[in-house]
Amino acid sequence: MTTGTAVAAPPATKDTAPKRREGGVMSKRRGTVATVIMALLALAWLFPLLWALINSFREYAYTQANGYLSFGGWTTSNYEQAWTQANFGLHMKNSLLITIPAVLLTLLLSSMVAFVLARFSYRFNLALLGVFLAANLLPPQALLIPVFRMFREVPLPLFMSDSGSMLNSFWALILVNTAFQLGFCTFVLSNYMKTLPHEIYESAELDGASVWRQYWQLTMPLVRPALAALATLQVTWVYNEFFWATVLIQQGDKLPVTSALNNLRGQFFTDTNLVAAGSIIVALPVLVVFFALQKQFVSGLTLGSTKG
Amino acid sequence: MLCILVGFCLQEAVVSRTTSTAIPRSTVATMAATRRNVLRGIGLSGLAVGGASLLAACGGDSGPATGSGATVKFGINEAEGVGAAHDRLAAIAKAYQQESGTTVDLNAVDHNTFQESINTYLQGTPDDVFTWFAGFRMAQFAEAGLITDLSDQWPIDGLNDSFKQAATAPDGKQYFVPISYYPWAVFYRKSVFEKNGWAPPSTNDDFMALMDDMQGKGVTPFAFGDKDGWPAMGTFDILNMRLNGFDFHMSLMAGDEAWDGDEVKGVFDTWRKLLPYHQADPLGRTWQEAATSMGKGECGMYLLGTFVVDALGENGEDLDFFTFPELDSSIGSDALDAPIDGFCVASAGQNQDAGKAMAKWLGSAAAADAGNNAADAPFIAANEGASTSTYSDLQKKSAEVVGAAANIAQFMDRDTNADFANTVMIPSIQAFLKDPDDIDGVTASIQEQANSIFG
Repeated sequence: MTTGTAVAAPPATKDTAPKRREGGVMSKRRGTVATVIMALLALAWLFPLLWALINSFREYAYTQANGYLSFGGWTTSNYEQAWTQANFGLHMKNSLLITIPAVLLTLLLSSMVAFVLARFSYRFNLALLGVFLAANLLPPQALLIPVFRMFREVPLPLFMSDSGSMLNSFWALILVNTAFQLGFCTFVLSNYMKTLPHEIYESAELDGASVWRQYWQLTMPLVRPALAALATLQVTWVYNEFFWATVLIQQGDKLPVTSALNNLRGQFFTDTNLVAAGSIIVALPVLVVFFALQKQFVSGLTLGSTKG
Repeated sequence: MLCILVGFCLQEAVVSRTTSTAIPRSTVATMAATRRNVLRGIGLSGLAVGGASLLAACGGDSGPATGSGATVKFGINEAEGVGAAHDRLAAIAKAYQQESGTTVDLNAVDHNTFQESINTYLQGTPDDVFTWFAGFRMAQFAEAGLITDLSDQWPIDGLNDSFKQAATAPDGKQYFVPISYYPWAVFYRKSVFEKNGWAPPSTNDDFMALMDDMQGKGVTPFAFGDKDGWPAMGTFDILNMRLNGFDFHMSLMAGDEAWDGDEVKGVFDTWRKLLPYHQADPLGRTWQEAATSMGKGECGMYLLGTFVVDALGENGEDLDFFTFPELDSSIGSDALDAPIDGFCVASAGQNQDAGKAMAKWLGSAAAADAGNNAADAPFIAANEGASTSTYSDLQKKSAEVVGAAANIAQFMDRDTNADFANTVMIPSIQAFLKDPDDIDGVTASIQEQANSIFG
């Protein structure tokens, strides 16, 4: 959150700095209190994750015999076993095949809508944006049955889906994820595009650039930061998606990696340490994306918040 | 795809209606072209959809239904890698392929996901044959028309009347083929019993004396955990069968008896009196943790299914069991929970004939043997002709005990409506365990909810 304001802040801080020392929003005492509270909250949030991480490196037999508060039984075999037992190689590939097209399609379609919404002033613009956002507010669970029935009735040629319908095919997941992410991306992108100076378009117009060219060669390069931020967010969201994959895919070898995590649970018996190791493996790509593209993440969260 | 295109088309319409106001000239020019493209796009995609349905229509029924060249889709509820449970089913599929020449297309989904999505599975694009359970769960799908009538495949060699009974829906037809089962009983460590000079009780008095003796020696008589919600159902089942008899139990499960009547209240009351002999605070303990405390000797006995072995991480040589002793001599102790696993044929499956043929074969001794020979842990085969040579001592005894039982129930969550078992009974039993003195409140609440579910 802070990096966004930091860019704009330097001139302002000079004026406000003395005031703060006299006991503004963040006096020294308050600052300490805030830090302690934040540290405690951070610990409370991190605790389950760290707990899972620690226990993923321990043997089930040891923790079961000595309790989870004991210390010992260290092993890395959970990770090897989780990887082979849940067949993560295959399921990671499935996740990739779903996530990448879905994210690209979402960004392409939403940038087109956003471009029209931002650059042309029609009477229906606001209504259209409203519709896109309203659809975003619907919980996916409420749409489960209609979507399921609709997909069941949509035939696909066998080379596209061996079930002969949208069910049990990656197409279904790509489309569903695209549809659900479209609203948010459109909202963010249209707000971002509105911040682009109008003069650029006027001169493009004078130079004879068509609307397509204004979209593809002028707007798209300019909104690249927004696209990068959204792509980062979308990759994690679509990758983490669990609900639709469980409902629309009924073939074990087509499940994405999040749903395949269940492969580590038996009918009755569950090796919780093994599941912890599996969960860490599944969470790893998201963590990598998050830490590598942290900047984009933060700007993604504050994107469009300055002008609405 | 179509929806998206239509969406764009609408947008274009909006655009063209307002052309006169604010749009630059170039926009108008490109717009006209775009609109034409969009319309053409819709036409093409319409063709694609139509063509696809044609293709799909040809795809289904070419080639023979069974034998070489035919394919049967086989959905199993065990994911690859979980061990014996999957290996047995995979070996059975392979054996059928070799024997019949029909190609078996295996679809392995993990147990919990399979079970939770069974409704969408059966209404979507199910496999021809799939793994399922006997009892009410099967009957529900039979009534809804989601599974295929298999009565023309019965009788199956080696499957006796009680299995045929378990495969029969209320309409009198069979919809299910059993392959294996496992009993619920009271498990104990042989070494612990030997050391303390304890013996499996046969009467109620023996039973109470044994539990008192255990408590005197600082051992909790019964391990108990109900964090998962379902394990305590086993205790309710057995108490109800011992106190009110098998017939009452089954009609109670079917929603035909009152849950707030004296019979059920009596069950909870007996349970309340037995609770001091159980591990305290069961709601914070999973069955695996409870099993561990029995394995370590902190608890003397554990009422559970034979899968208790899995949690102990050993082969079960130091384990033995006895059926829950009688509580009422007029009722006896000849009924127990022994859930049966097996197969159904999905009505929406594409190859009904192949599905039926395979289902019949799956009930045979050959199928059970193929599974048991391939995996490191066998199941107890339903077919009496199946070889028992790979069985462990526990399994041999299980087969004996179940064979000797006069009545077999399937376990509460299979004997009654799944919604009732999961959304009513789990929280109700947990509420009872939290506050064992409020029996009237719990039974009244169960009855109220049962009214709305069973109608």
